[in-house]
Amino acid sequence: MLESSTIKAKQGTLKDTLVPAADSYRPLVLTPTEDIKGFLTLHLGRSLLFAITCTSVLAVFLIFLFVIREALPFLAKFSISEFLTSTEWYPEATNPKFGTFAILAGSGYVTIVSIIFAVPVGILAAVFLSDIVSMKIRNIIKPIIEILAAIPSVAYGFFAVMVFAPWMQQKFGFSTGTNALNASLVLGVMALPTIISVSEDSISAIGRELREASYSCGATRMETIFKVVIPAAHSGIIAAIVLGMMRAIGETMVVWMASGNAAQIPHPWWDLSQSVRTLTATIAGDMGETEKGSPHYRALFAAGLLLLVITLCLNLISEYFLIRAKRAGGKH
Amino acid sequence: MKAGLRITLDKIFTVVAGASVVCLCLVLVGVLGPMLWRGGSAVVFKGTVEFRRMQLTLFSRGNEDKIAAEVKQAEIARAKVYSEIEKFKAGIDAQTLTEKARQIYRQFGNDLRQVNTSAGEVTELRSVTRQIRDRLESAFASSNAAEVNESLAYVLSFKNDSRFKNTSAAGLIELAEQYRNAIHGVNLAERQRYYQEIRQVEDILVELLGPAPGAQTPALMMNRFGATRWDLAQKLLGRLLWYEEWTKQGPEQPMVRRLTPRSQRFAGTEIEGLFTYIQQNLPEMLKPKTTIYWQYFIDDSTPGHYFGGVGPEILGTLLLTLLAMLFVVPFGVISAAYLVECASDNLAIRLIRMSINTLAGVPSIVFGLFGLAFFVLFFLPIFGAPSKGCILAASMTLAVLTLPVMIRSSEEAIRAVPHAYKEASLALGASRFRTFVKVTLPAALPGILTGVILSLSRVAGETAPVLFTGAVALGPVPKSIFDPTRTLSYGSYDMAVGDKLAAMVPHNQFGMVVTLVLLILCLNTAAIVLRSKVFKKLAGH
Repeated sequence: MLESSTIKAKQGTLKDTLVPAADSYRPLVLTPTEDIKGFLTLHLGRSLLFAITCTSVLAVFLIFLFVIREALPFLAKFSISEFLTSTEWYPEATNPKFGTFAILAGSGYVTIVSIIFAVPVGILAAVFLSDIVSMKIRNIIKPIIEILAAIPSVAYGFFAVMVFAPWMQQKFGFSTGTNALNASLVLGVMALPTIISVSEDSISAIGRELREASYSCGATRMETIFKVVIPAAHSGIIAAIVLGMMRAIGETMVVWMASGNAAQIPHPWWDLSQSVRTLTATIAGDMGETEKGSPHYRALFAAGLLLLVITLCLNLISEYFLIRAKRAGGKH
Repeated sequence: MKAGLRITLDKIFTVVAGASVVCLCLVLVGVLGPMLWRGGSAVVFKGTVEFRRMQLTLFSRGNEDKIAAEVKQAEIARAKVYSEIEKFKAGIDAQTLTEKARQIYRQFGNDLRQVNTSAGEVTELRSVTRQIRDRLESAFASSNAAEVNESLAYVLSFKNDSRFKNTSAAGLIELAEQYRNAIHGVNLAERQRYYQEIRQVEDILVELLGPAPGAQTPALMMNRFGATRWDLAQKLLGRLLWYEEWTKQGPEQPMVRRLTPRSQRFAGTEIEGLFTYIQQNLPEMLKPKTTIYWQYFIDDSTPGHYFGGVGPEILGTLLLTLLAMLFVVPFGVISAAYLVECASDNLAIRLIRMSINTLAGVPSIVFGLFGLAFFVLFFLPIFGAPSKGCILAASMTLAVLTLPVMIRSSEEAIRAVPHAYKEASLALGASRFRTFVKVTLPAALPGILTGVILSLSRVAGETAPVLFTGAVALGPVPKSIFDPTRTLSYGSYDMAVGDKLAAMVPHNQFGMVVTLVLLILCLNTAAIVLRSKVFKKLAGH
């Protein structure tokens, strides 16, 4: 304070004779008002930014709140165990039945089969990109994977139903081209980019030292990858698989268009050429025809809640493995 | 293990890993190739004169005089087809012929009343004409050639009868003559079959060449024009030239399709040669010309997308995505800025990060449910807007969906700005806020823009969230943001599965989805190029 007042005094005396530079009026120490103002703007601004950042929390909260709100009357009225275990889904009958077991099984079918197709290809491609090819080729292949990821799901669905289904029907003599196999294969392609990019990240994160140690022991590249790199990166690869599963189970358009939409469990169980129906396709297909507030409408929200819970669990699992993968990568 | 075996295994592994990547590329080509190829034919194709006529009528496009001249030329080539079929039908359609004979007879009776003749003469004339009429009718109905000839000979014996000269009864004799010419070479026993099949031929001709001359304008727009495209015309020509039959091979066996040339079905008749004529002169009748129909991207369509383009769908998609971006970009960038610049690792921040991850994992159909329950049924009524799906609700749903994408990409972009930039600014005495706005943000802007473009492309392709919140398959162009709209994504779904009429125009089905894919690929290519430039710049090259 003392300093600032002396400066001011000096400026006062010099005022008539000298025109000071613009900045020299500024005191070097803040006055109390300026100090309070600065404090307030900083903290108010921060809390405003924080509030805006909380939108995503709010969004998650609202999603759960409103889906549960619409589903609650159904959950209160019908038995949840029947909802989960019965295979009878007759929502529009006079005595409606809401058993989602067959539909859940359909979701499970397409998800698992698509992952079985996608995982070997995805991990091999990830290894190829991280350990085998040069940076140059990698930079060419990466955009291809990105484009594969960018193609909208409805376009994949269109391909499945307009190109792939007739081809399959003709080639293999299936009774229908829109079946579990068709949906699974296309879903597998859609899950590939996720699997490749996440597992490639975790494989690349494994340091050079591990690889070099392995090579110096005389291991070939294949042995290094299978016995050193992949075990070291396993957390990230598991996370990649879980994320791929999430993508497949939450996908709507492809399964709605290509799975045939028959609420049944294939019989015999390995026969993939039969039609199935998934949770997502049920919601998408039935919602347009239901009356707002009817039991059917509520049941669809309950199905949505089920889907939300499943993906949330998968999300937590993937999060857990991703954090582990980060730690594993960080060590080296 | 032996060293040789290990090396071979290693090589096999390399090849297999490479094959998986090649397989990826093949999948990309396999998915995009057929769609692009077939969808491209919605824009570049051989358009016929019917196409130009349609463009003129529906969109007032093209030179009126030129098209009229072309239509005239085509009509000259077509005239033979119509006249021959008309002639052939004259001998086949017993019912119409009988009607005609009866009408003439009635007319003659009326005429007799007007003319001044004695009562006895009138009665006689009447009985003679009735006899002629009856014999004619029996000739029309009979399928025995001898009987028909006998009846016709009887009728024609009155040809030079002076009593019928210049009266309406002469029409009966004329009819008999026409009929005798028409049934020349026709197997009378198969007349019923001929009748049915010529009707089939006529129906195909309407599809191929448009409504027959003199026929009244059909109510449906899609029936007013013939084949507008040469590939469609070729398909229809195939149906015209080949008669399709489904025959049973035996009990419990699937039906088998059998094709016979249509000219064989009409063997021996006057129109046997007509089919070769049509085949040879079809280019004359339709005048195919390579057309680039770029207006496909701005034109509205007729119901079922039979004619026209995807203009309203593109407009709707752009409206939805841009509005969604308007909502999400400020929130996304500010959230990212906060997370990078201000956030310490405490509980609240961890909660926020977890929320973002959760939000990214929510299935798109659940966003649709949320949009329906929150925006449509709860949020809009609060502000007095009608509680129905609309552009506003759909774009807000999409904004929530793309929020995590936006935050993550912006965060990455802001983090990528070198620390030196920031430190230099802070050292000059700028506040942290000023530093962020004047230094960090401009440096991060291209990266943020990349994120915006990527979210844009993601939003443009989403279908499930807009299913219940504002997309419709058919409907007018929206007037305000409180109207629902058509979108490319929902349109692609609807044309592939929902709309049965669309199956008749595969080029438009594929055209819709290819427009969507191209839009998204363009956005993505732009993002990839932009990002590589930013990467180079920030790396200091």
